[in-house]
Amino acid sequence: MAATSPPWGWVPGALARAVGVGMFLALTAFLLGPLLTLLLWAFAGTWLFPHPLPEFSLRWWAFVLGNADVGKAIRMSLLSAPTATLLSALVCIPASYAFARLEFPGRRFLLLSFLSANAFPKIGLYVSIATLFYRLNLMDTFLGVVLIQLVNTLLFMIWIPTGTFRGINRNLEEAARDAGAGPLRTFFSITLPIALPGLIVAALFAFIAAFDEAQGTLIVGTPNHVTMPVLMYGLVLSYPQPVGAVFSVLLSFPSLLLLIAAQRYLRAGYLAAGYSL
Amino acid sequence: MTPPLLLLLFLIVIPALAAILETLTSEGGGITLAHYAQVLGSRAVRTDIVFTVEVTLASVAAVFLLSYPIALYLRFSRTRLASVLGVVFVVPLFVPVVIASFAMITFLVPHGFVSTLLYLLGVHRFPQLVYNATGIVLAQVWVNVPFAVLILGAGLQAIDDVLIDCARDVGAGPARTFLSIILPLNGVPTMIALTLLFIGIFGSFTIPYLVGGNAPQMLGVTMTNYLTQYLRRTEAVTMAVMAFAIAAVVGALYVGSVSRRERGA
Repeated sequence: MAATSPPWGWVPGALARAVGVGMFLALTAFLLGPLLTLLLWAFAGTWLFPHPLPEFSLRWWAFVLGNADVGKAIRMSLLSAPTATLLSALVCIPASYAFARLEFPGRRFLLLSFLSANAFPKIGLYVSIATLFYRLNLMDTFLGVVLIQLVNTLLFMIWIPTGTFRGINRNLEEAARDAGAGPLRTFFSITLPIALPGLIVAALFAFIAAFDEAQGTLIVGTPNHVTMPVLMYGLVLSYPQPVGAVFSVLLSFPSLLLLIAAQRYLRAGYLAAGYSL
Repeated sequence: MTPPLLLLLFLIVIPALAAILETLTSEGGGITLAHYAQVLGSRAVRTDIVFTVEVTLASVAAVFLLSYPIALYLRFSRTRLASVLGVVFVVPLFVPVVIASFAMITFLVPHGFVSTLLYLLGVHRFPQLVYNATGIVLAQVWVNVPFAVLILGAGLQAIDDVLIDCARDVGAGPARTFLSIILPLNGVPTMIALTLLFIGIFGSFTIPYLVGGNAPQMLGVTMTNYLTQYLRRTEAVTMAVMAFAIAAVVGALYVGSVSRRERGA
């Protein structure tokens, strides 16, 4: 990028810098302050106003981890989110290969149609899905929960793999075919290994979307299929603050671990490839 | 590529169409607007609709006014501060909305972190920042800023530096450069950001449910209560369809403005 000086470059330097730093600090405090407060609460025994720091204790961890509902919710989350991710991958990855390799009229339109979940006010969509699920007896079932989590995974599982497959040189596949490999062998020995990092990024985002889904699962899954984010509503509304804080840390854990594990793939630009259609 | 399209049909198109159909059908099977009349007959619901539109507009404006300067700063500044900000501002993207809402509560609640800070600074009267519209707007800003900055920033990235240098060479000041060059050239991403922000915030549930007050409440909370607490399904779906209609109007405004712009160009 050329070194164009900013359009506000006429403002006297020192003043601009001071205003800039001040705004930067205010913004950082606003963005990180709530998370830091939450983290402090997770390790607080008591935190009485107006002490700037709590009295530290791990006793709420024992309370949360000993709670039977928490155990059930963790199990439900760790069963439903991977199921939704896997199902989404099985349904979407073959389709995204077709989207990447075939040119046909309406291709762009069909790809864009996967944005349609975002074109609806989400909660209205969930209420509509729930009324359909009532008729199909899918309310308060495991399948219903998986399907509602699936809604938010489709976009990631179509767009990112399509971008990834499109980035793979077709000549490699043709060379394998020329050497006598069948279409399946070509896909599994050539295309899939090259595409794998992109597919991992897609699966990661799909998993996080499914795992964090709360409002739809609250409507469709209560009372017997409560996932971790759904349990969080109840904890926030009817328990002391440290309980919600401890549970928030637990809830952030899987996504955080996966993000760290996959960060070298994330930096490689597979996400951006997905948005180039 | 049919299987994912079938899922899309089953999870989005059919529920939406079934909802529209159900709310327009009377018990005898004829077409009727009675469900709408009944829902709109409730004064509480009317108040909630107005409240929802107001809070959504205020949130969109707040997100936009905060995001545009950040996007500009990230686009044109090469300082270390800018690169740090480039990392910090995406943090909310990776925080589930339930956690974000709760974090906002612990931060803003009376006798929470902000109150403590104000108290230690000698301020002893605290504004009410949660369990009302202010809390909803603040939480929406927190959650939506990364997304808005990313869309606006992608548009700004596409503007050629040469154009900005030219404007400056012929004597345009910063405000003039922004209003006559940057803002119009970034028009389509701006409209996309505003539209998606409106629809996203309008259809939110978690933030108003946890951070909002009891009444008036946003439509997302009201329709969920009708569905799961009062067990009045038809009224809940009617509100859902009204939300679709309002979102569709906003979407149509967006399409209209973009096509007008493209015809003009």
